[in-house]
Amino acid sequence: MAYHPRENWIPQNRRRVYTRRDFVQRAALLGIALPVLPSLLAACGDREGQESAELAIGTPASPVQQPLFDDNPAIESGLEPEAGPLLLYNWEDYLNPETIPLAAEALGVDIQVTTFVNEEEALARLSSGEVQFDVWFPTSQRVPVAVAASLIQPLNHDYLSNLQANVWPQLADPYYDQGSRYTVPYVTYTTGIGWRIDLADSADIEGQANPWDVFWNEKYSGVIGMLDSFTDVIPVALFHNGVADPSQATEAELVAAGDALVELIDLVDIRYRIDGSYAGLPEGRYAIHQAWSGDLVNSQYFWPGGEDEGTTRYVWPAKSEGSTTKGAISSDTMTVLKGSERPVLAHAFLNYMLDEANALKNFEYVGYQPPQNGLTSEYLISEEWLLPHLAPALVAPEDFELDSAWVQGPLDAATEAAWVEQWNRANSGG
Amino acid sequence: MPTNLASGAEYATVGQKRWVWPGFALPGVLWLILLFLVPFYAVFAIAMGQLDPILQRATPEWNPFYWDLTVIGEAFAELFGGQLGVIALRTLAYVFVASLICVLVGYPVAYFVSRRAGRWRWLWLLLILAPFWINYLMRMMSWVNLLSPDGQVNRWLTTIASWFSIDFVPPDWLAGNHVVVILGLVYGYIPFFILPLFAALDRIDEATLEASRDLGASSAQTFWRVTWPLSRNGVLGGLVIIMLPMFGDYYTPNLLSGSPRTRMYGNTIDQFINQTTSGGAVGAALTIILMIFIAGLMVYYLRSISRASQEARE
Repeated sequence: MAYHPRENWIPQNRRRVYTRRDFVQRAALLGIALPVLPSLLAACGDREGQESAELAIGTPASPVQQPLFDDNPAIESGLEPEAGPLLLYNWEDYLNPETIPLAAEALGVDIQVTTFVNEEEALARLSSGEVQFDVWFPTSQRVPVAVAASLIQPLNHDYLSNLQANVWPQLADPYYDQGSRYTVPYVTYTTGIGWRIDLADSADIEGQANPWDVFWNEKYSGVIGMLDSFTDVIPVALFHNGVADPSQATEAELVAAGDALVELIDLVDIRYRIDGSYAGLPEGRYAIHQAWSGDLVNSQYFWPGGEDEGTTRYVWPAKSEGSTTKGAISSDTMTVLKGSERPVLAHAFLNYMLDEANALKNFEYVGYQPPQNGLTSEYLISEEWLLPHLAPALVAPEDFELDSAWVQGPLDAATEAAWVEQWNRANSGG
Repeated sequence: MPTNLASGAEYATVGQKRWVWPGFALPGVLWLILLFLVPFYAVFAIAMGQLDPILQRATPEWNPFYWDLTVIGEAFAELFGGQLGVIALRTLAYVFVASLICVLVGYPVAYFVSRRAGRWRWLWLLLILAPFWINYLMRMMSWVNLLSPDGQVNRWLTTIASWFSIDFVPPDWLAGNHVVVILGLVYGYIPFFILPLFAALDRIDEATLEASRDLGASSAQTFWRVTWPLSRNGVLGGLVIIMLPMFGDYYTPNLLSGSPRTRMYGNTIDQFINQTTSGGAVGAALTIILMIFIAGLMVYYLRSISRASQEARE
């Protein structure tokens, strides 16, 4: 939940060979790292008013329904959409710029997009209450928190005809929000391993009982990397050590995972890069790199010569042949904010984005896959939205039901601190 | 009582003057309060605030009576004996070596431009200023391009090696190389060192140097006994300007390495603030610790400046 695929986002139509957008963003963030001035203007926190809340955290094996609250009702059916402008709050470049005027035309209103760089920033601004938006795009991990903090409002499905009609059944009634009370799905992705068949031996990854072990293969010293994101790296070390569910890792297991990561510094000269997969692999900086599936889809646009040479591969270890380990799968959602002044219009926008043609239009730019029944991998490849060798980077609806699919829930503060402690060990080496 | 009236009028003008001149400082003071003191206070409020029970985020505590020192204490403990200590020491070493190189390279350049460049002085100044026209990140990214495994630098090296039929394996400059990160820091900050030093050297009265020579000092003696003491504050000023941002730098090691071997203090702050949900307070605590350290450096600088100006007056 810390880093999200969006944070390193480079839009497809800007086919730059060497892009380091993530660092520009982070540098920019330095200026706004502490969202303090707005908070200052808000009233001083009420110390007594803070009580802990039970979060409804679901997994595919044990789905949950998000609670409803009397003071946070859904809108009535049969209302007319309000006048615009519709205000969206989204990750940067997470909407096709062509989609915005098209949606605006279809809904007959102006649409304005405000962006955030990471979810910490988004939560800070939304919870301070000093911003007014209509639609917000949180990750599914954030949904329980957003519901408990009353940031988002329940949805009225009368306005969302496309949800049941078009969306994968697994996500039309998702494990994190049974009955889609507060959310509709936006895009979906897995976390796996990307590699170059000309620079690495595929047999070291595919067909292995634990493909994650490849990061400890000294053959690839200097040309192997992982995502610069502890919520993605710590689970790899835990999987490498045979831990079944990283969320439940004990202190001893975490320390062992930290040891395994410290070992990587001298063993393979490990590097942690956010752009390592989508740009680092095409540029040949890495032979193997941990990757979000959507980034591998986008890597086809980052080849230095402009032409994908067809040598990139992706595997999600949860679905790799012969693999007995797990891999993370996740999805992002669209929600209507509780403070929205245009809730009917916001519902109309959600429904617009759930339309198959509109979702495809958006995928064309965003690269992360919408969970649409009609947009199967066969279709996307035959229509040349994706090069065939990158097909494993697409998520299939039944992937969520695999026993090997691991869903990361939100980390509580104590667990997060324990993870960060190991991450710091992994990062302070020699 | 005409005399009293007159003195009253006199007072009025004096009073006016008393407010007029300090009034000029008002915009600056307001600016400082709004954009420095308030955010600074907010950093303290976050470092010593609480955790929001639902969002699990660090929330500021504006009332100092409720400030909680646990996080800042833990951060200090981490620094002395924990993982953070290694990173802090590395950062100190990087900044120290990079600053030393800046002095060794920058001083002769500044000296040359101010004393020996003659009618081409403007051109040299222009060349020193040119990097300011391009954003720091842009310049670093171009280095990433140049230094990447199949980048221009390695292509040139391979070509040159082939002329002499040397078996040459191009190095991976960006693979967590201490030297590359330090040189990256030097490259990024050296113009900021040269410029104030140039100004200091340029201010030195030619007559003092002539007097030194007239009194029989050699040119080396003149440099050590006149030029260097008079330019020392320029060196210190330049060092302050480059060292402060270097201590907080995190994108140089990020861009030029990305390896755990070269993590700097700023990377750790960045990580807590941007990658974690609940770690905002730790990030703020680390920021405060860095500020305290930097404040120490600033005090030393200000003291040596005031001592120097005192000596000049005596």
